[in-house]
Amino acid sequence: MKFSNILYACSYALALSFFTSCNNDDDNQSTMLPNANADFSGTYSQVDHMGRPGINTVLSADDATKDSQNRTLPADMAVAFQASFEARLEAYHDVYATILGADPAAVNYENNILGLDIASLTGYLAADVLEVAPNLPTTYFNPGTDADMDGRILVPDGDEVALTGRTIQDDVIDVSLILLFGGMEGDRFSGQDTDGDGMADLPRLTSDGVSITANPTTTFPYLGNPE
Amino acid sequence: MKNTKMYFGLALLAVAGTILVAADHIDAPSSKGTSADIADFYAFEPTTGSDNTVFIVDLQTSVLPDLAYGTFDENVLTEINIDLDGDLVEDKVIQAIPRDGFMYFFGPVAPSQKGLDSQVAIDAPLGSVEISEVSAKTTTTASGVKLFAGPRQDAFFFDFFQFNAVIGGNAPLGFKEASEAEDTFEGANTMSIVIEIPNTMLGTTTAKNALGLEVYKTWVTSNKKQ
Repeated sequence: MKFSNILYACSYALALSFFTSCNNDDDNQSTMLPNANADFSGTYSQVDHMGRPGINTVLSADDATKDSQNRTLPADMAVAFQASFEARLEAYHDVYATILGADPAAVNYENNILGLDIASLTGYLAADVLEVAPNLPTTYFNPGTDADMDGRILVPDGDEVALTGRTIQDDVIDVSLILLFGGMEGDRFSGQDTDGDGMADLPRLTSDGVSITANPTTTFPYLGNPE
Repeated sequence: MKNTKMYFGLALLAVAGTILVAADHIDAPSSKGTSADIADFYAFEPTTGSDNTVFIVDLQTSVLPDLAYGTFDENVLTEINIDLDGDLVEDKVIQAIPRDGFMYFFGPVAPSQKGLDSQVAIDAPLGSVEISEVSAKTTTTASGVKLFAGPRQDAFFFDFFQFNAVIGGNAPLGFKEASEAEDTFEGANTMSIVIEIPNTMLGTTTAKNALGLEVYKTWVTSNKKQ
């Protein structure tokens, strides 16, 4: 009985605060304060973590590693996961070496468009945080920002703006695939026809082929209504 | 049509012997499909030259029919962590937690406790917003912070089933061409928490990214009441 009264009082106060804040929009901070009767006590313990999209999913070798990564602090992640991420990335290359009839030991990761070797890349990705620049345009990686038009549009040489956040439209999967499988020019495995017979001879690993299908908006909260 | 696609995909997964969905969607056995499952995280400048930063946290997803989706859990505290000096330890946190149809926000504030356990920063209230249904209800606080919580389109896009074929060794040609590839997340929804906040409230950063540009290093966690 007492509990339901409190709930009712809370709901009423909350509803009042909501409508007041709508009417006054910006000018009454006191209406924005949480209801004094709401209970926020207790300890909350971490169960999931996310920084960059897809990293845990793609580079953690097994379920135990995935769970462990979700309960590891970012400062400890590179030490904890770099080696296993590197092994996982090489294993992906081995899968395609086998499919192509090549020696798995001969088909390895190649330094990527950022010039990172495999230890550096997997160390960078293992520390799973999303970087966002307060004073620069946001792009997960936009090859179109090659201001000097030197033709190496995917190779950072000082004029690119990248790794400055993640917009809703950024194709984070393609960027990730390019970093992992694209090699120096970003197109190492992109379905090339190497013998000129009109058929792809190398696998297509640098793009999943899809573009955004949702309809983000230009105004807050930026995501479209549920479907 | 959609269900057909899903069942086909699940059959494929059974063959591949693994379930992997990227952007963190369904990433790990302890959290996948639960009310604490982080599906996605975005951080961006809303318009070029803006002095605000937008954070979007998506919890849960309806991408597979049997996944938990639809309401926020009052036992789950969502925390956006912000590192300002590049040591990968949070210097400020923004917290969000639902109560009785509203999402309450706290911070940005230095966390009372760093690490895996958190308390709600009740001394640093930021504001609250009624949890939306279909159309978006938003609030703007006196300090210029915009708040939203509710169901939204899951904007993530990925040919997840072909990805599983690729990593399972069942796709000799790799991913499909654009004309054949399918966005598995088309039509999916998610439970979103969105906050747009002036950079002055986040503070100045000295952290740098791999290209030497100044950045906030951010990550999101979901935390369950003990």
